[in-house]
Amino acid sequence: MTAISEVPAQPGRAAILIPRRRRRIKGSSIAIFAFLTMVSLFVAIPLYVVIVTSFKPIGEITLGQIFDLPVHWTIQPWMKAWNELCTGLACDGIKQGFFNSVMILFPSLVLSIAISSITGYALALWNVRWADGFLFVLFICAFVPFQIIMIPLIIVVASLGIFGTVWAIALVHAVLSMPLLTLIFRNFYKDIPRELINAAIMDSGSFWKIFWEIVLPMSGNIMVVVLILMITTVWNDYLVGLTFGGISTKPMTVILANSVITSRGEAIYNVNMAAALLTAVPPLVVYFALGRFFVQGITSGAIKG
Amino acid sequence: MMLRWSWAAPRLALAPAVVVTLIGFVGSIAWTIYQSFTQSRRFPEYKIDSARWLSQYERLFANETWWTALQNLLILAIGSALAIVFGFILAALIEREKFGEGLFRTVLLYPLAVSLIVTGLVWRWMFNPSLGIEAFLRGHGFENASFNWLAAPQTAMYGIILASIWHGLGFYMALMLAGLKSINTEIWSAARLDGVGVGRLYIEIIIPMMRFTFLTCAILLSLGVVKAYDIVVAMTNGGPGTSTWTPAYFAINAYSTRSNIGFASAAAVIMLLITLAIFLPLVAATAWQARRREAARG
Repeated sequence: MTAISEVPAQPGRAAILIPRRRRRIKGSSIAIFAFLTMVSLFVAIPLYVVIVTSFKPIGEITLGQIFDLPVHWTIQPWMKAWNELCTGLACDGIKQGFFNSVMILFPSLVLSIAISSITGYALALWNVRWADGFLFVLFICAFVPFQIIMIPLIIVVASLGIFGTVWAIALVHAVLSMPLLTLIFRNFYKDIPRELINAAIMDSGSFWKIFWEIVLPMSGNIMVVVLILMITTVWNDYLVGLTFGGISTKPMTVILANSVITSRGEAIYNVNMAAALLTAVPPLVVYFALGRFFVQGITSGAIKG
Repeated sequence: MMLRWSWAAPRLALAPAVVVTLIGFVGSIAWTIYQSFTQSRRFPEYKIDSARWLSQYERLFANETWWTALQNLLILAIGSALAIVFGFILAALIEREKFGEGLFRTVLLYPLAVSLIVTGLVWRWMFNPSLGIEAFLRGHGFENASFNWLAAPQTAMYGIILASIWHGLGFYMALMLAGLKSINTEIWSAARLDGVGVGRLYIEIIIPMMRFTFLTCAILLSLGVVKAYDIVVAMTNGGPGTSTWTPAYFAINAYSTRSNIGFASAAAVIMLLITLAIFLPLVAATAWQARRREAARG
């Protein structure tokens, strides 16, 4: 836990300190800087192109100058993408998908975080004899391909009578993310000092009381990390929404893909790009607002276990 | 009484996770493996014909598209591995210069927050022959410029690889940066005192020290490649023809388009086997690292 609270201070400090040292700028530094700038451009340019395309009238797009700024800025494509984008025969815009994604996101966040934080806590701090074996199974489950469990999950969800609802999608997300989140929570909780927990067990001994009064208040950092991981995973998911969503409950990515990629009508590029941006905005906001937790989230999701 | 309760409560709390694991993962995997030996079509059947219990696998490996998919898996894995190489180079450069580290990291990492569907869509727009980069290049004097990769079966996979690298580059850079920062800083000054050149320092000392990070990256990349589905749908939808199908795409297609549960299950089982083959080194390496850490502590 100390390691986590120490990390944030470093990057900012390094960036400020070094120019102040006034060392001589070497040629190799300039070369490195130029190389990094070039790679950054490669990464940044697609976003730039999509943004300028989404603000151009269709007449300017047909000129084929994708890197030019719009001559006449217009927000028409954004309005159209939100209100009138067509999927199949219905032209209700991407807004329905946005609300569906929100409705999927919240239950899946609550469900997955509740179950995996409690499981992680029980496995980390209470003596459960089969904990190691169970953790190993979870470790494997965290990486199995979705296809191997897809069809049985469809059957289970259908037998629960919720197939095609936002609840089905949220439930499947909670199931799919449970192994990885449990491992993350467990690795975080096992670093809580034993003496603290032993004292608490002597004091009250109640499993739930210790969780609510000691463990949960210490979990601020890891909660943010897990939240970011889950928000981006659920919001950006396509396959689960496609498989378990009904006609009117599909998340934003599925509506975007259906209307832009698989439709056969004439492509309206500026509206498509605006729709793509609208879909990408929520996770991007999370990324730019909580950048350093984001990095922590994806790397802890990746290497711990 | 108190003691008994503290025995029961953790086990009670674990019940939901155990149920989810048993039904959602263990049971589901067993069910799919079982189905791959049956003749199930639209609806699951539970009778295994002992004479042709392997027939789904025979059909699968007689299927030309399945071989294309396996081949694409390999191409995609090798091609996207460039993201690891570049990720390491970028991390090393950022770590060395430190100037603008925050900015470069922010820029390089943002694609990770973007979904693969949007990524594919964005790159599809860049690859658009009449309005995208190709048109731009031709309009600026490069008459023979060809950037319409997605339209030809021979080059479409390269388009997908390019988009995958764009999406994953920052992720591998972040992992590498974390690995580099965990290296003891004394090594740098020791190497400088000994007059070891920068190139040799990286090749002979730093990279061997980071082999676990490299292994992790390689395994994560391979696991991601086995799952590659969204990016294919978004960029080519499998086309032109079936030239960009991946095993993940094949398995979903066998279920949703061909409505063939047995066949889809067989494809999924092969995917699982590939995943496990990739996964075993990670398990071994984790155990090895844990043992080394124990040894260092003791």
